[in-house]
Amino acid sequence: MQRITCAAIVASVHARTGKTLLSRVLADYVMLSGENPMIFDTDALEQTLSASFPTESLVVDIDQVRDQMRLFDNLAAASDDSRVVDLSHLAFRKFFNLMRDTDFIPEARSAGIEPVIFYITNHDRRSLEEGCLLLDRFADCTVVVVDNGYLRQPTSITRQTSDYRTLRAHDLRLGMPALDAVAATVIEEDPLLSLAEVLRQPMRPSVDDGDLVGQARAAIRSWVIRLFREVHRLNELMDARLAAEPIPPPWTPSPSRSNA
Amino acid sequence: MKPVVLLIGADKGGVGKTTVTRTVLDYLASKNMPTRAFDAEHPRGTLKRFHPGSTVIDITDVADQMRMLDTLHSSDVKVSVIDIRAGLLSGTLQALTDVGFFDMVKGGEFNFGLLHVVGPSVASLDEISEVLPLAEDKHYFVVKNFINETSFFEWNPDVYKSYFKMLKNAVEVNVPKLNEMAYEQVELAGVPFQTFVDNRNPQGMPGNYSLVLRGYVRTWLNQIKAEYDRVGLVDRLST
Repeated sequence: MQRITCAAIVASVHARTGKTLLSRVLADYVMLSGENPMIFDTDALEQTLSASFPTESLVVDIDQVRDQMRLFDNLAAASDDSRVVDLSHLAFRKFFNLMRDTDFIPEARSAGIEPVIFYITNHDRRSLEEGCLLLDRFADCTVVVVDNGYLRQPTSITRQTSDYRTLRAHDLRLGMPALDAVAATVIEEDPLLSLAEVLRQPMRPSVDDGDLVGQARAAIRSWVIRLFREVHRLNELMDARLAAEPIPPPWTPSPSRSNA
Repeated sequence: MKPVVLLIGADKGGVGKTTVTRTVLDYLASKNMPTRAFDAEHPRGTLKRFHPGSTVIDITDVADQMRMLDTLHSSDVKVSVIDIRAGLLSGTLQALTDVGFFDMVKGGEFNFGLLHVVGPSVASLDEISEVLPLAEDKHYFVVKNFINETSFFEWNPDVYKSYFKMLKNAVEVNVPKLNEMAYEQVELAGVPFQTFVDNRNPQGMPGNYSLVLRGYVRTWLNQIKAEYDRVGLVDRLST
């Protein structure tokens, strides 16, 4: 997310799959690159991502038309700053219906914004099925399949399904390394902890066995480094692809466009 | 193609005649059918605000009737759409009968269609029975306009069916509800629905309308176009 203006949409059909954590990582990654991202938290009740970025984020209730406008109109507006959307599982269906009905993808591209869907899978068959539907439905959009190592992995039977194989064979993938449980708790309980800041702090040569916070910070640092490397690798790959396939000229809607 | 006259009206006010007319004009444009639009909301001309090319006429005035009917053959544009002012539907049908227009329709000189926009009240059912004798042997579409209503008809289904039984050739058309905010924004923009979807202002320059609201209007307009396709509006008027 350095050279392209990206609208990252972090999604999953289930709760507790790491959407907010990945959104937080992506936002911190972008900030570390010197950008001032627009961050959207679609969980109007919990507002977890917003707690991490109180001044940079906007909480939107996808069921409210005014909030839909604040979200999509801002996402598709020309700007040099990337956007990150933490898509609550409760907003999943409505968001993607709106994305299709508003012709969001060509309009965003005409404004120089590249939408990228980060879809987090888990062991559940429905998660795999919805992932495949998403790939079909948004074949013209960049979709990154995310494996979160922290989550339960699919059983051997599930791995035989065509949905699993399709997602497994998808070329754009991001691996989220498993995060140590104590480190996960530290991140969760300290929403204002900047992951980029953790990287900037010098690493202590050794941590005492009894220093749980120190150990957690070391684990977080190691985890963030690995994940940032993954994001960077993916970013380079997407940059190369976009360079090979330039964004089409400004979009002109066709009056005779049929219902999608 | 024979000249076509398409009347859109109701005797009751506030049922969305002009909205339906606007959707018909967008629909026919999408079918590459050029239209002449007449706005019979004389002298106000609500339709003209959205379709500036439309002509405001007083349908009760003989000179204006001549302006419209006497040019049907000579005009290059074969489809004339008339948005009838509230309360004047029965009167207009009677006037067209009196000038022999329907005899010419029977003789195959013109095609004629009537879109009768009805509201949710029982009064609309009575209105259908009043219009019925004048609508026989014509392409008669009863348009249930849901656009301003969250829940529709207070009609008793049995009573409604009994009215419809009398209408041999009546076709029922449903216009779905449009999100209120999207509707308001199109009203403020003062452009055809399709122009709003295409993000163009009244001057044809790029507009600044909300992506989301345009999406709502696009989806709604596509539903209506599908409904007009379903009832074969163009085919019926072309034969």
